[in-house]
Amino acid sequence: MSKTASRRYVMVLDSRKCIDCKACVVACKAENDVPLGRFRNWINAERSGFYPRLRASFDPEQCHHCENPSCVRVCPTGASFQREDGIVEVREADCIGCKYCMVACPYNARFFNEETQVVDKCTFCAHRVDRGELPACVETCPSRVRTFGDITDPKSPVHALLEGRRYRVLKPQTGNGPQLYYLL
Amino acid sequence: MDRRLFLQMVGAGGLAATSVACPRFLSKGKAKAEPAAPMGIPTSCELCPNKCSVLAMVEKGRVHKLNPNPENPKSRGMLCARGNAAIQQVYDPDRLKQPLIRVGERGEGKWKPVSWDEAFDFAASKLKAVKEKHGPEGTLWSSTEGFQEVFFKNLGMSFGSPNILRHPSLCLASVNLAYSMTFGTVPSFDLQNAKYVIMAGANRFESIITPDTMDLIGGVMERKAKFVYLDPRFTVTASKADEWYPIRPGSDMAFILAMIQVIISEDRYDKVFVDQWTLGFDKLAEHVKPYTPEWAEAETGIPAREIRRIAREFADAGHRAVFYAGRRSSWYQNDFQMRRAQAILNTIVGNWDREGGMVPNRRVAKGEFMFLPWDDPKASRVDEVEKAFPLTSAKDGVYLPLRENVLKGRPYPVKAWMIYKQDPLHSVPDQGKTLKMMQGMDFIGVVDIAMSDTAWYADVVFPESHYLERTDPIEVMPGIWPAAVLRQQVVKPIHDTKPMLEIAQGLAKRLGLSDYFDYTIDQWIEAEAKELPVENGLEYMKKHGVVAFSEPKYGTTRNAVYRFVTKSGKIEIFSERLAEAGHDPLPAYASPVQPPQGRYRMILGRKATMTHAALANLPWLHEHTPENDLWINTDEAARMGIRTGDLVEVSSTAGTVRLKARATEEIRPDCVFMLHGFGKKSPWLRSVHNVGAADAVLLETAWDKVSGNAAMHETFVKVVKV
Amino acid sequence: MHEPVWEFLIVNYLFLGGLSAGIFFVSALCTWLQTDGQASYPRIARAGALMAPWPVALGSFLLIFDLGKWWRFWKLFATFRWESPMSIGSWLLMIFTGLTLVNAYAWLTEEERNRLFAKLPAKLPFRQKLMDFHPELAAWKRNLAMIGFPFAVGVGIYTGVLLGAVQARPFWNTNLVAQLFLFSALSSGTAALILARVLDKGEKDLAEFRFLYTLDICLILLEFFIVLPYLIHGQLSVLAVREALGLVLGGRYTFAFWGLFLVPGLLAPLAIELWEFRPVLSGKGTLHITRNLALTAAGLVIFGGYVLRYVFVFAGQASGFK
Ligand SMILES: Nc1nc2c(c(=O)[nH]1)N[C@H]1C(S)=C(S)[C@@H](COP(=O)(O)OP(=O)(O)OC[C@H]3O[C@@H](n4cnc5c(=O)[nH]c(N)nc54)[C@H](O)[C@@H]3O)O[C@H]1N2
Ligand SMILES: Nc1nc2c(c(=O)[nH]1)N[C@H]1C(S)=C(S)[C@@H](COP(=O)(O)OP(=O)(O)OC[C@H]3O[C@@H](n4cnc5c(=O)[nH]c(N)nc54)[C@H](O)[C@@H]3O)O[C@H]1N2
Ligand code: SF4
Ligand code: SF4
Ligand code: SF4
Ligand code: SF4
Ligand code: SF4
Ligand SMILES: [Mo]
Repeated sequence: MSKTASRRYVMVLDSRKCIDCKACVVACKAENDVPLGRFRNWINAERSGFYPRLRASFDPEQCHHCENPSCVRVCPTGASFQREDGIVEVREADCIGCKYCMVACPYNARFFNEETQVVDKCTFCAHRVDRGELPACVETCPSRVRTFGDITDPKSPVHALLEGRRYRVLKPQTGNGPQLYYLL
Repeated sequence: MDRRLFLQMVGAGGLAATSVACPRFLSKGKAKAEPAAPMGIPTSCELCPNKCSVLAMVEKGRVHKLNPNPENPKSRGMLCARGNAAIQQVYDPDRLKQPLIRVGERGEGKWKPVSWDEAFDFAASKLKAVKEKHGPEGTLWSSTEGFQEVFFKNLGMSFGSPNILRHPSLCLASVNLAYSMTFGTVPSFDLQNAKYVIMAGANRFESIITPDTMDLIGGVMERKAKFVYLDPRFTVTASKADEWYPIRPGSDMAFILAMIQVIISEDRYDKVFVDQWTLGFDKLAEHVKPYTPEWAEAETGIPAREIRRIAREFADAGHRAVFYAGRRSSWYQNDFQMRRAQAILNTIVGNWDREGGMVPNRRVAKGEFMFLPWDDPKASRVDEVEKAFPLTSAKDGVYLPLRENVLKGRPYPVKAWMIYKQDPLHSVPDQGKTLKMMQGMDFIGVVDIAMSDTAWYADVVFPESHYLERTDPIEVMPGIWPAAVLRQQVVKPIHDTKPMLEIAQGLAKRLGLSDYFDYTIDQWIEAEAKELPVENGLEYMKKHGVVAFSEPKYGTTRNAVYRFVTKSGKIEIFSERLAEAGHDPLPAYASPVQPPQGRYRMILGRKATMTHAALANLPWLHEHTPENDLWINTDEAARMGIRTGDLVEVSSTAGTVRLKARATEEIRPDCVFMLHGFGKKSPWLRSVHNVGAADAVLLETAWDKVSGNAAMHETFVKVVKV
Repeated sequence: MHEPVWEFLIVNYLFLGGLSAGIFFVSALCTWLQTDGQASYPRIARAGALMAPWPVALGSFLLIFDLGKWWRFWKLFATFRWESPMSIGSWLLMIFTGLTLVNAYAWLTEEERNRLFAKLPAKLPFRQKLMDFHPELAAWKRNLAMIGFPFAVGVGIYTGVLLGAVQARPFWNTNLVAQLFLFSALSSGTAALILARVLDKGEKDLAEFRFLYTLDICLILLEFFIVLPYLIHGQLSVLAVREALGLVLGGRYTFAFWGLFLVPGLLAPLAIELWEFRPVLSGKGTLHITRNLALTAAGLVIFGGYVLRYVFVFAGQASGFK
């Protein structure tokens, strides 16, 4: 990967545009061999109201690649680590499968991969990003809910979005400093 | 196309990058400069009619990922869940792996794997036998759109059968006919620039149509276009609309006529346009007088003041207002007239061929391969379409009337049925009748990639190679952003399968029709590529997979010399031809029959992760919809003591099924709904075999009077807890 | 959290680790306390020394085989990450287990040791050396006790910190958990020794029991006065914590917490032990031991200690932020 300590990858989500089509979920499965029944990303659907006054909202979620990732902090072997560009990954060879990181993730973003017998989660498609491509879920999304980029780069669309729009993050109280930004 | 640029590109795109309206391929030019990241093989998705452009990533002869190809403006640089899951079809363990001949009873599932020669010989002998006894018209050739469908049709036609039956009369025959009878063509809707959009049961956010789905979400959420949606169900589309009305099923025409009435009576229509381009406006003005919003309120259940307001807002948005046509119009027996009413409403606000309006399709020029022509069939069609539905397209036929005739053996017996890329047992209403029709056949041959239920009841199953394993003809996708796309082989067939062309050739050889098929797919596409609007088209196509115009052209038909392809050369608000054929020349409303006490209207629809009755079996899609259930309004369910998860028995005059109930607020109390694609008989569709229920079992036989399009929302069902 | 990822193996691990810590702590205490040059409670000290290694050894053994990739467990010791309670804990546990083994060895009598070595195959080179090796034990035992204290306490605390350090789980995320687990560990250890002493056929003296009971009563009271603030503090805390506590106050784990831990596992034994102590407190007469009451009290304490860890491991994972 190109070493630039100054980089910080984040994802901005415009949930209002999410149509719950699951393209991102399936794309991730294909790109990252996610086992059946396990998910690196998912859509939180909320439906409410009474006929005919109804509401539904869809919020995509995945690993938040936290600024202070509690998963990394608790990992006894250092298998969970954070790259200079903020991407949080699991080094398979070092993971003993103690699942402490799973317990420690406020977003339940991690799962135990029965096939590899180690803990698994969203990697922001680091392997694609390192080739200069977008994460699979971002590239495939029909309604462009997802914008990925380097927040330190003023030319990056994420930068522009966060400058120009109001947004929120999930569970800020955990102090993890999540890096998925949800536009309001 | 080099996808490495995306990070920088979206950078350049700035805000717009999140907007669906900014296709990323725009800075393609720059792409040339940079060295390419792992390049995919460009091809075209086959899992639904949209044919999105794909870049297939291959490693050691195995496709491991399909990425969207941003070069196609029509697919807006996306791939939906189904497109992403296509890989699983190729490596599906239950896939058809070689030709099969039935040895047990039909549907018993006893198969003999055979060589292609055996399969061809067997099928050819059966077809000949039928031909001898009943003539070529004794054979029926039915299929659904697909790039190799042409070879299947050509085989049927060169065999001499008039009975070529295609899917439109299950899908969009009525809407297409309604718009072509009005404009002489079927236009597209410029949702990327529209300011006011009304959709009646066009569930765009679950029933994906490119580029409409993406343009609409961008339009609604970013460009703040007003979006009004009518649907008895609270769909995902409804959840995104500014206004959703659970309209009384079958009453859409009343809503539209009332809008027209308001717009005309309040002088809000586009006079200049109407005077210059249309025929019969005065008759219309007279005709709609009784159709007041107050009258429509009683029909639709939508308050008169809302209808009036919407009509005004719509008219004020002028040529940037569209009442979207919809695609699956196999709804009601008056569907044609309802779509005519839409066409007329669009006409009077003058949105024709304007930015943000209703725009006639452009095409990308392409060559044709010249093959030896055959004589026209001697016999007339068994569905008697020319007689019964003179206005509709005879070449595609009308499915349900045809089945009625075949079952009666009228006007002549049809004893062999060849089926391509179609699953009539699920996609044609009344499965029982279709089964009966199959049982009446001396021979059934099915060309499919999976053991569909229809294949399960066939005598011979020809396994076609998956789209990732074959090269298909170049197809032109007309539209505001027209494209010509190529589907090229990505991996060698992993089983003993063949593309339709080779299957046609195998049969043609034995039927003495080889002369009509003495060419290769390469010669075919070479001829097609010749006239593409790019330098050495074939190489370009193989490298890019698509040739497209990314800049819309508006107003090409808005000039003094333009003649609409109608009898009068004008937009026919009033249609002489309809009158001559004995139909209402102006859409006249008849109140739909409502379900009697204790019955519910069954309505149909889609889900983003499934295509029709297919795909529910693919693991990556199946895990999102393991089973279908019966949507029933919470209050109705409560009255019958039905709770979500309870097993219910649903019955109509056509049949009875059992499935779990879903008590939900998200549907009108007088309707029930179930997803398509479950309750499969074929055990080779592992995860949906006997799971949930098949809606086709319940649907009764009914069709649109003018087009002969199936009417699939005319069935009333009884629901009881078991 | 949808399905809990940590289950009974972790519960056992935390419980057994704590139990060993407790047993060792009390045993060491009895070694260290002296009356005229002699360990005050030699029988307790010895019993504890011999018992201490086995629970923790079993616990760690089980845990390692529960790991996704157990053969990689050595990686735990290839690194030391002071940020990670589990990393610190693993080291603590390893050293502690070692210590308890050495300590147990030190408490063996000469013939016991010989009997032990006699079992070793004769050809082993160092066999003879071991048999001839007779360290100056009295001193050893005390030093081991001194060295052992911090590790025992450390392990006791660690079993709580492992959970308490997880911010993501409001049910856990308070320093009270570490204290609660520590005292519960020590109390379980004491109870284990009461059991051992009651069941021991050999001679007993009341002083021993008086000591154990006093200790246990104090520990149980400490535990109780941590549970109370834990609940009260939680109730006054942020919504997420209140919701988390809901799990034990009218939620999925309410019965386990009250009906299995607090009442039978904490208050009941306290009551029994106080009852036995009644004469001493009231000044008239001495403590007298009813065998069955003693066994019951001790059994309940240990049971309560187990349930406490069960409730915390499971309820904790069920808790989270909105
Ligand atoms: N109840 C109900 N009926 C409906 C509809 C509904 O919504 N509900 N919708 C209607 C509409 S709009 C339409 S368009 C029709 C669609 O009608 P169909 O075309 O019959 O629908 P599918 O279920 O997609 O069936 C497609 C078949 O083609 C096979 N297939 C897929 N790819 C290939 C290929 O590359 N080669 C070959 N040889 N076979 C292939 C699939 O395995 C499947 O068996 O259904 C209509 N009928
Ligand atoms: N994901 C996905 N996308 C697809 C397809 C697919 O199978 N899956 N198929 C493609 C094809 S071939 C087609 S034809 C199109 C079909 O796409 P659409 O034209 O959108 O048709 P349906 O998806 O069948 O949606 C019909 C909707 O109309 C509602 N409805 C029922 N009765 C009435 C009524 O009386 N009035 C009104 N206003 N609404 C009513 C139903 O509740 C349902 O939501 O989708 C295309 N896109
Ligand atoms: S692909 Fe985009 S629209 Fe579809 S579910 Fe994912 S985020 Fe939502
Ligand atoms: S979301 Fe969870 S897994 Fe991802 S970085 Fe934050 S704590 Fe770690
Ligand atoms: S499971 Fe693996 S990654 Fe997670 S904490 Fe344990 S060792 Fe680290
Ligand atoms: S970024 Fe990559 S790994 Fe993360 S959810 Fe999207 S596709 Fe999956
Ligand atoms: S919409 Fe989805 S299934 Fe249809 S062609 Fe495009 S990618 Fe394929
Ligand atoms: Mo269709």
